[in-house]
Amino acid sequence: MNFLAPAAIAFAAAIPIVIVFYLLKRKRVVHLVSSTLLWQKFLAETQASSPFQRLRHNWLLILQILVLLLAIFALMRPYLAGEGRTGRLRVAILDASASMMATDVQPNRFEQAKADLEKLIDGLKGNDQLVLLLASAHTEVKQSATTDKVALRRALATCVAMETPTRLAEAFKLAETLVKNRPESEGPEIHLFSDGAASGLDDFQNKNLPLVYHRYGKHSENAGITAIDVRANPANARERALFATIANLSTNARAVELELSFGNDVVETRTVSLSGTNTQPLVFVAPQNQDGVFTLRIKNEDALAADNRASIVSLIPQPARVLLVSRSNRFLEKALRTAPNAELTIVPALAEQPQNFDVVVLDDVSPTVWPAANVLAFHVVNTNLFSSWENAKTPPVVDWKSGHPLLRFVSLDNVQVAETLAIKAPPWGVGLVESPNTPLVVAGELYRRKVVWVGFDILQSTWPLRISFPIFVANAIDWLNPSASRNAELMVRAGEPFRFPIEQPISKAELTTSDGQRRTIPVEPGARELIVGDAYRQGVYRLSAGTNDVTFCVNLLDAAESNLTPREELPFGKYSKVTATAVKRANVELWRWIAAGALAFLLFEWWYYHKRTA
Amino acid sequence: MDSLLSAKLLRQLEQFQLLAQRRAKSSARGERRSRSRGQSVEFADYRTYVAGDDFRYLDWNLYGRLERLFVKLYEEERELPVRIFLDASESMTFGQPRKFDFARQVAAAVGYVALCGFDRVSVIAFPDRPEQSVVRGALRSVRGRKSALEFFRNITQLSAGDGVNLNEALRRAALEARQAGVAVVLSDFLDPAGYEKGLEALVGRGFQVNAVQILSPEELNPSTYGDLKLVDAETGSIQEVTFGKYRLKSYQQTVHNFCQRLREFCQSRGIRFFMASSGTPLEQLLLQQLREAEVWG
Repeated sequence: MNFLAPAAIAFAAAIPIVIVFYLLKRKRVVHLVSSTLLWQKFLAETQASSPFQRLRHNWLLILQILVLLLAIFALMRPYLAGEGRTGRLRVAILDASASMMATDVQPNRFEQAKADLEKLIDGLKGNDQLVLLLASAHTEVKQSATTDKVALRRALATCVAMETPTRLAEAFKLAETLVKNRPESEGPEIHLFSDGAASGLDDFQNKNLPLVYHRYGKHSENAGITAIDVRANPANARERALFATIANLSTNARAVELELSFGNDVVETRTVSLSGTNTQPLVFVAPQNQDGVFTLRIKNEDALAADNRASIVSLIPQPARVLLVSRSNRFLEKALRTAPNAELTIVPALAEQPQNFDVVVLDDVSPTVWPAANVLAFHVVNTNLFSSWENAKTPPVVDWKSGHPLLRFVSLDNVQVAETLAIKAPPWGVGLVESPNTPLVVAGELYRRKVVWVGFDILQSTWPLRISFPIFVANAIDWLNPSASRNAELMVRAGEPFRFPIEQPISKAELTTSDGQRRTIPVEPGARELIVGDAYRQGVYRLSAGTNDVTFCVNLLDAAESNLTPREELPFGKYSKVTATAVKRANVELWRWIAAGALAFLLFEWWYYHKRTA
Repeated sequence: MDSLLSAKLLRQLEQFQLLAQRRAKSSARGERRSRSRGQSVEFADYRTYVAGDDFRYLDWNLYGRLERLFVKLYEEERELPVRIFLDASESMTFGQPRKFDFARQVAAAVGYVALCGFDRVSVIAFPDRPEQSVVRGALRSVRGRKSALEFFRNITQLSAGDGVNLNEALRRAALEARQAGVAVVLSDFLDPAGYEKGLEALVGRGFQVNAVQILSPEELNPSTYGDLKLVDAETGSIQEVTFGKYRLKSYQQTVHNFCQRLREFCQSRGIRFFMASSGTPLEQLLLQQLREAEVWG
């Protein structure tokens, strides 16, 4: 046996002190009696001239010395060298997403989860280790594996809930790596403290994670804003139309009172009746003569406040300056001219870099220099775009992504194509219109420029004869118009990074958060964009970077978070799930009670002794 | 006198007379029957006339019948010496009320009954205190009811103090007594040297001994607890004790054993034993215990 703190033997000096206390006589009260004859039986000592007495056999002294020796022994921290059983590893994932801020339980789900997690920490045995992960939009390791309960409690105290969606998959991946190679004897466990509002866990279907799911929440009495967008009013280009989706996540019908404001001015209030578990899209129309922020609020109080407000920056649309490079294409030219908010210029060829154009349309013309602007390309190939290509005859249109902004109100049912360039879907974009062998339309972003690529010559198809063509062209110009996409760029989901391109070198930037706090963001020399990565609270943020001042909005806009229904089961793919534990698994240590009992017994003994002698 | 005995109690005591179990042996004439022959109204015996006898005591009826001269003898009536041994040591000054005050009251009551019965009363207080020699001398021999007032006054002037050896004091008093009689010992008997030899000396001298043990309520049921340093009032010795309520029963058992040992000793020697607390009413001892034990009647 060895000792970690052998110097603690110095406490043995306390033993003689205890003995001296027993050698000292107790102070006695002088009492005159008629005769000591009757007191002989109670005689303690015949003579009392010295302050010390003879050390007599006393069980209390022996017990006290014994306890003292044990305490000294413990303070010396003895240990046995050899193979010892390592403690169990537990990985605690604390869901800190917006839904955990729901107040259907008091004070809220997150605080309840923290309280239970603290019990789990208290219940850790001597060698048990715990890793504390805080999962919101990102997973943060609040405390690496440790047996130090003080450090764990300190880390837990710093955990706060955020108004972000849940991304549990990231936390599970991290937890999996921690428990993966642990032997079964150590019994590693992953404890999830969450309401289960998580998706995207299919990757863990066959992982057989040793998961203990602690579920929180009672009901889902909540209504929230799940989507918001602003664009020009199709009926009146001088007005702005704000599209929003309101969801009633409770099973009861409810009337939702909405208030739309532009800046500090209330624009409109509206009461919407929503049946249970239903959503309703809404359109608000408002005149706008300057850039500003629309804010939509739900004025009713419900269980979750984070989804009762959404803001969006609305910029006055600037007309897109479009350069059409075409030998001759009347269909395309006419479609571009009818596109709203576009100023068209036509050139037959592009020999040099075009200046002062927002969108360049390449119609079956390969430019000498690839334009440094957003591009709509028809039947153009370039090694910048694709590594290889070939021709394909009569590719049928089999599918298209009607949900994409480019294909809004576009139907390709009756479009036939005679010939097209067959390519493989590039990494920079997604295929929007598909034929069996090749995508016909690809949209994406390349070198920070947006590109819409159509693989066939429209004159080799029936598309120009369909009504969907001018709609597609208008959608494309709108999508490629930098000023039109600014609105979308100036809104991010809570927890997602906000990126701001830097045109001129700056040394520092200042961010004003939604709660009015200001802080400086360091900028590395030569950086081409500024990233705000910790916008975890929704609201309006203002960024001042050099000569540029930009306002952006952070919103929750997550129907899964707004749905507060506590999930009894956590799905892992189709066939795997974890059920919430009915009993919170947390070992409760008893030593405090035993120590308290021992202390109470000691106090009782002390009281009883004095009661007998007093 | 008022401080010792109330007028009511005195009137009750006047009705009593000390009951002697033995014939009086005093040489002085009194009202107690004795074995001596003398002049009284109580016929005792006859004896043959011898020349010189008083013709007034010849029984002429007997002479007429037997023609022989007989002289009638009568019992001589003598006085009964009553000796009250009063413990005036330091230990008797304890208690509330003081044991010594109680003892003085008992002594006064016994003495008053004796004086009313024309008996000679002696109060012997021990230890000796030279400054009280006059008072104590006056209490050595008191006779007659008319002396009661003076008797009470002297008893009131008695005081207690100093230590005493009970055995030695009683033994010396026994030796000093010229005639045996009724002895009443008033003491707490708390003498480390014991009491046996003293009482045996009185019995051996022929006294009809009555022992009255007087203890204070505090001695019977102490109320001081804790770690105590006890100082003996008489000897000055110091004893350290740890005394709590939990030991009260044990203490009371010790007191009971002590009293029981004294009682058994007295019974074995023909001594009538009485035990009283200084806190109990005086009437209970005088009018009940002593009367029931036929000390007087």
